[in-house]
Amino acid sequence: MMKAFRWWWGLLLAFSLLALSRAFLPLAFVNEVVIFSIYTMGCSFLLGRVGFISFGQPAYLAAGAYGTAFYLFYFGTNPYIGILMGVLSGLVVSGIVGPLFVRLRSDYFALVNLALAVIIYYLMQKVLADITHGDNGLWFLTNIASTPLLDLGKPNHFFIFALLVAVAVWAFYKYLDDSIYGACCLATKINEDKLKFLGYSNYRVRLLAFIIANTTTALAGAMYAVYLGFVSPEITSPARAADPVVVTILGGVGTLYGPIVGAFAYTGMKDVISKLIGNWELFIGFLLVFIMLAGEKGIWGTLQSLLEKLLSRKKAAAGTADNREARH
Amino acid sequence: MSAQLLISGVIFGLSIGSIFFLMAIGLSLCFGLMRIISLDQLLYYSVGAYITYSLSLKTGSVWLGVLGGLVVAGIVAFAVERLIFRRIYERELTFSMITSFGILIGGIGVIKYFWGVVPRPVAVPMLTQLNIVGTEVPVYRLIIVGIAVLVYAGIWLFLNRTIIGKAIRAGIENVEHVEGLGINVSRLFTITFIIAGALSGLAGGLQAPLIMVDPQMGLEVLAFVFMVVIIGGLGSIKGTLISAILVGQVVSLGSLIYAPLAQMAPFAIMLLILLVKPTGLYGSPLLKK
Repeated sequence: MMKAFRWWWGLLLAFSLLALSRAFLPLAFVNEVVIFSIYTMGCSFLLGRVGFISFGQPAYLAAGAYGTAFYLFYFGTNPYIGILMGVLSGLVVSGIVGPLFVRLRSDYFALVNLALAVIIYYLMQKVLADITHGDNGLWFLTNIASTPLLDLGKPNHFFIFALLVAVAVWAFYKYLDDSIYGACCLATKINEDKLKFLGYSNYRVRLLAFIIANTTTALAGAMYAVYLGFVSPEITSPARAADPVVVTILGGVGTLYGPIVGAFAYTGMKDVISKLIGNWELFIGFLLVFIMLAGEKGIWGTLQSLLEKLLSRKKAAAGTADNREARH
Repeated sequence: MSAQLLISGVIFGLSIGSIFFLMAIGLSLCFGLMRIISLDQLLYYSVGAYITYSLSLKTGSVWLGVLGGLVVAGIVAFAVERLIFRRIYERELTFSMITSFGILIGGIGVIKYFWGVVPRPVAVPMLTQLNIVGTEVPVYRLIIVGIAVLVYAGIWLFLNRTIIGKAIRAGIENVEHVEGLGINVSRLFTITFIIAGALSGLAGGLQAPLIMVDPQMGLEVLAFVFMVVIIGGLGSIKGTLISAILVGQVVSLGSLIYAPLAQMAPFAIMLLILLVKPTGLYGSPLLKK
């Protein structure tokens, strides 16, 4: 009971900090951070827990975004149903490609995913240009109907909604981590023979992880679509393929707070740097190389060990237990 | 489909396949020997193309530009290998992939800084057409195919007839044993990386007159090069050649039948082959130790 309470405490602290930052940071910025952290959670789960690195996350982001966009542009007006449609389309896409992809070795897996992202880019930009309007994108901001309670058309209402969704997603991943299934995921990363020996199917564990992670990514895509009110092929551009991987590593691979910290730091740097110099790729590329060479623990990973040292010096037993909890 | 269309389609496909081959061979060699996935080969491709553009403007000769592109791409590859890759050979495979993607994106930033974002045209060095069975075929495309054949022959001779090449082939089998024989493996890695980078630069230089040179050009061929490497199997030079020809023909003939097919068909083929053989046609089942 006490254990459960402690991790809820960490969760509430993290998200109340995020909610608090709303007071002194621009709304557009915090919205971006919240959506980005959802986007990264899927990638972080794949990389940190299952050991799959995917440069193709934009493909699933686009699946979600276009699922939502098609619904809101052609069929309905309710943004909630739109988001649901986006998530469903993400589920369908990852359900189709998943059985093919998860059989591959991790190096082939990454290459195939990146190829998929590029293919979806072409598909949306050229092949399906009649439906997707090519590079102009689909604009449907005015189509979004106002809903009672939380009106997603308004940025400040959207922020509350996005925060709630992020908390839910985060809690879900936390639950996964503590479950037997989470242990299986780690096992398939570390020693797949042993897992097979215990009677689990590596293939099924990976397939489920793949579908869960990419449905989360599609959810982020759907939220982007509703928030921005338009979707263009730019969302799956190969130049942005590294974004979630960068944020995952920046925050700390496989940590639960990593995606939030990483998304915050990344969006912040992007805003500041793109104001100073127009050349954004230069910065992100060398940042990535630097992080990889300097040690891949990331911001949260470094902070965490610092915090642990600090707390253990104070002999606060509860504090260390909490931190150890946070790491798992 | 008329015979003329078919012939020009096949020649076109062969020339595209040659470019893919020149680029994919770098990725494949690096994977085979060093067990890294070097996405930054796509950067050397753009570097080669930009150097070709600048030199051909200065000197008026595209061929000199292509040569310059090859040399500069090799030098850049050498610097990157010494500065960055040496530190990460021991790490796992995904690690090199992330790092090299960072180099690729950062390098695109550097290119944007020097040449700007505006696409640049490069003049075609030979406008003459050759008549093959009643079809006019651009000689330049035939030359590209010829260069690719020469490179394949050269690589084959290098790997089979020279001591360094034999050491590289032995290294692909087992690096520890080669090191045990007293061969400087670190230098072997550097040589392989420079060859890979220079060939990517050559591919960029040859491709430059056929397209507009822009900073994102590496990312545009990225999907196709990956497909070539995956279909052929990582680490196999023969597999790379076969799959490059295959993908080139599919892209070229596919676009004759239905234009959007050109982009989608190789992907479908790749999925089919992976379904049957998850390591590609000639891929080794080796994992990083």
